[in-house]
Amino acid sequence: MIPIEKTLIYSVIAVYLFITLAPLIWVLSTSFKPNQEAISFPPKLLPDAPTLDNYLFVLTDPKLVTSLFNSLLVSIGGTGLSVAVSALGGYAFARFEFKGKNLLMSTILGLFMIPVVINIIPLYIMLANVGLLNSLLALVLTFQILIIPLNIFLLKNYFETIPKELEEAALIDGCSKLRALWHIIVPMSMPGFLIAGILSFRFSWNEFVLPIVLSNKPDVMVFQVALYQFISLYRIDWGYLTAGITIALIPVVVLMLISQKRMIRGLTLGAVRG
Amino acid sequence: MKLTLEARAGSLQPYLLLVPALSILIGFLLFPLMWNIYISMHNVSLTTILGEWKYVGFKNFSNLLRDPDFHMSLQVSLLFVGGSVALQFFVGMVLAVVLNQQIWGSNAFRALFIIPWTVSAVITGFSFKFIFSDSFGVLNYGLEQMGLNPVAWLSDPGVVVWTLVIANMWHGAPFTVIFLTAGLFSINPVVYEAARIDGATKIKSFFYITLPLLKPFIIINLILITMWSVNFFDLILVMTNGGPLFASTTSSLYMYRQAFEFGLLSKGAAAGFLLIGMNLVLAYSYIRLFRRQERTVEIRQM
Amino acid sequence: MSNSNSLGDYPPVTKKESSTNTLHEYIFKDFKLILVIGLLSLILVATSLTPFTMVHAQQPKQVTLTAIVAEPKERWDSLFADALTKLRERHPDMKIDIDYRVLPYADTRKQILTAMAGRTPIDLISIDQIWLGEFAEGKFLSDLSNLTQSWNRSSEWFKTNWDGGIYNGKVYGIWAWTDVRAMWYWKDLLNQSGVSPDSLRTWNGYIEAAKKLENSTKDKGIQAMHLVGASHSPDMWYPYLWMLGGEIVKQKSGHPQKGTYWFPAYNSTEGVQALQFLSDQVKAGIKPQINHFWGKEFADKKFAVMLEGSWLLGHFPRNESKNFDKSVGMIPMFPVPKEGDTSATMMGGWMLGIPVTSTNKALSWELLTIMIQPDVLAPMLANYAYLPTQKPIAEGTYSTQLNATIPYYKELISMLSIGHSRPSIAEYPQIADNIRQAIDEVYLGVKEPKQALDDAAKKSAEVLGWS
Repeated sequence: MIPIEKTLIYSVIAVYLFITLAPLIWVLSTSFKPNQEAISFPPKLLPDAPTLDNYLFVLTDPKLVTSLFNSLLVSIGGTGLSVAVSALGGYAFARFEFKGKNLLMSTILGLFMIPVVINIIPLYIMLANVGLLNSLLALVLTFQILIIPLNIFLLKNYFETIPKELEEAALIDGCSKLRALWHIIVPMSMPGFLIAGILSFRFSWNEFVLPIVLSNKPDVMVFQVALYQFISLYRIDWGYLTAGITIALIPVVVLMLISQKRMIRGLTLGAVRG
Repeated sequence: MKLTLEARAGSLQPYLLLVPALSILIGFLLFPLMWNIYISMHNVSLTTILGEWKYVGFKNFSNLLRDPDFHMSLQVSLLFVGGSVALQFFVGMVLAVVLNQQIWGSNAFRALFIIPWTVSAVITGFSFKFIFSDSFGVLNYGLEQMGLNPVAWLSDPGVVVWTLVIANMWHGAPFTVIFLTAGLFSINPVVYEAARIDGATKIKSFFYITLPLLKPFIIINLILITMWSVNFFDLILVMTNGGPLFASTTSSLYMYRQAFEFGLLSKGAAAGFLLIGMNLVLAYSYIRLFRRQERTVEIRQM
Repeated sequence: MSNSNSLGDYPPVTKKESSTNTLHEYIFKDFKLILVIGLLSLILVATSLTPFTMVHAQQPKQVTLTAIVAEPKERWDSLFADALTKLRERHPDMKIDIDYRVLPYADTRKQILTAMAGRTPIDLISIDQIWLGEFAEGKFLSDLSNLTQSWNRSSEWFKTNWDGGIYNGKVYGIWAWTDVRAMWYWKDLLNQSGVSPDSLRTWNGYIEAAKKLENSTKDKGIQAMHLVGASHSPDMWYPYLWMLGGEIVKQKSGHPQKGTYWFPAYNSTEGVQALQFLSDQVKAGIKPQINHFWGKEFADKKFAVMLEGSWLLGHFPRNESKNFDKSVGMIPMFPVPKEGDTSATMMGGWMLGIPVTSTNKALSWELLTIMIQPDVLAPMLANYAYLPTQKPIAEGTYSTQLNATIPYYKELISMLSIGHSRPSIAEYPQIADNIRQAIDEVYLGVKEPKQALDDAAKKSAEVLGWS
């Protein structure tokens, strides 16, 4: 690769890296400043008196810890549910022909276009009638509506790239159908499951508009909503807020980091054949 | 479990497999939507929700289409969505291609670039509101230090939409990066080798090999990010609440404010349906546009 | 390599081994399968069981009152804690708890709306005075008229504050505390610029002072005057309208449906004059501030002069309140057109009300009355520098306590007599939005005050049903 190309490439990366990281670095540095110092003007990059107090506060406050735990529970549960459900659906579309197949697929994708916020009140009424208000189970279910259509689409495409012959060969060899499916299809679809899972997790983890209405009881609060309490009308606790933001970033970032390659490959095969 | 693979024609299996997904979607998405359809045909607001709902047919929709504020919000949406999609796509494409080259640390960089997408919209909005603040923001401070004039990022009606587009780009471009990288992964490097042997420059291979092969990915990516930008409002709500002078009120924010700030639920529902309509039209246009392109390419090849 | 071909990563197609060879692989994979399914089901079960475990943890004969209230949180913490103790004392046979959710302002309103739509039983809510009309019209609130009669303390309320909770002749909310907006200034900054505080009292004086101050404070990175450009800008404009004798809305006959109803009156000559003052401020170089920090920007000495509510005191350290008046001056008024005119200010604050969906109305009412008892409420007011709406606290023994702890307390109380409140009509939020737009248009120089107000009034008339 000629040097000019390399410089060009690295400069592009450097510029966007700066744009990407600048706000995050500010968040990170503020999280180590005591609340008072946080919005001192002129803004300082390095804290005068760096402190871990903010993190300690966020991680030891029972309400915040509960909300963190709730978020994890809802996101992991929701991811599992979403991937499983979408896998079944995607498999149906990939391997079967049935009446109304195309129409159904288009409808499912169309559902994706609904701005979820208009559903807040009817969802609330519905959940109230069923007694599921302020329950984590309701959150698990409602957060996933944002992403199930996309997951079905991705997994359907993914399954379609796996040759049917493999399953048929396994059946011929005498495996039980269940075993064949599980041991052949699933391992080969890991990248697909991975991308579906990560998308589900990210959408569920970041959800804010729904839980602030559907579950604002302290014991079922999710982390994003709990963080918002630092932004009150008269005062913003920047120190706590940024510490919380940093903590909120960790699960999704870690997930993305450790599974980057395989996740992207899942998308490679999952996105084609629109 | 329902994973039996009997090949009985016309069996119920596919339907059974779809039951879990469909029940969630129907229960939590379609059902509430029905409620919205119902109230959009009636006169439901905060003051009438517990009382009588008068039937008004399509009046909410016609009122909406005649509302100058709604027209303005459509214009703003056009700018916001157009700018966001263009910027996100361009940046995403450049980064995806750049990171796909054989350079050291591309994985690490890609991982870093993804982080903005993992921050929630509300938090992003809040942080950027502070960064872009006229008097106390870091950005204007930096500009002043460099001897440049500060910009009224959030208080100048002509600038505010673009400020939001930038914030949206920061937040949403990573998705395009991942998506297009996935597309790039699907291209066999052998193809590039062959082109290079034939004497094609890198730029030529990009336009004549990469882009056409990426087409399916590009279409889906565009549809997704367009839709997400059309429906996006929490970022804007937090950063500007639609001001100044409605210069940053997109149709999605308009819908939100009508429903929840003014309690005009029917109007909000009607606006919501118009938004869905917009999404459908846009998605359809993308697909038609690219299909027409493919046909012209085929004709040229004949 | 970064662009490796993904297809090469698939397991080779030849893996059609017979089951016996890889038996142990299958068992291992089965194990993983069982583990995964088990874990997921455990999580799902855990999430669905949490509501049940909550229920079982409670004891029988338990009453939990639910409340939805608006931020900030701490004031409710102390108020509910105190009131609950007293409520429990009165009912030793019951186990009473209060489950109160504190939400941001906009979300409080959204939550109340949603909860009412879903007919969720809620026992107590905090009502912003401007929501009262809507909520009463929407039949969210219980009619408290009979209860207040037997309670017999309504005469102890200041009239404006008591009337604020009345809609269509019935009592729907009790105005628990209020606040007023006054002028605050840093004494040293004014001294250094040679500006006398008295000059701030008149419109012309205010503008002249702004120019003088700007010259000297500019280099310190401090702005002279604060002008509200945030979404509550109408609130800071109404006093000018009121002091000239104008009104936001007036009753008018000839309404298509209601016979006599409210009609926008804010585009009167008084309104135009009032808005012209804001326009003059902008022309004199005062910048409207879009972000609002509720007094913190003044406490941080980013502005020399600020018109702000009494809560501004909360941003100053409590232990220095004795010395507060040495560094910060306060003028209990909004600037008036000419010397000697009566000023005006806007009163805010919060009301308490009981939704119709409450299943414990009697108990909630009792809780409410305890919360607004002088002995319970006064300490909270002292702590957060809110002003009382009832005479027992404003005068009498409690007032000395407040006087001692709140700087400029007497002056703040004196402003109650020139305090006006906004109309409690159902359409108010939209009208406020129209006015806000007019103010923004004038700030940006897009329209002249008369044009802006007339256009806004046209919209408001439509909102009120006059078309």
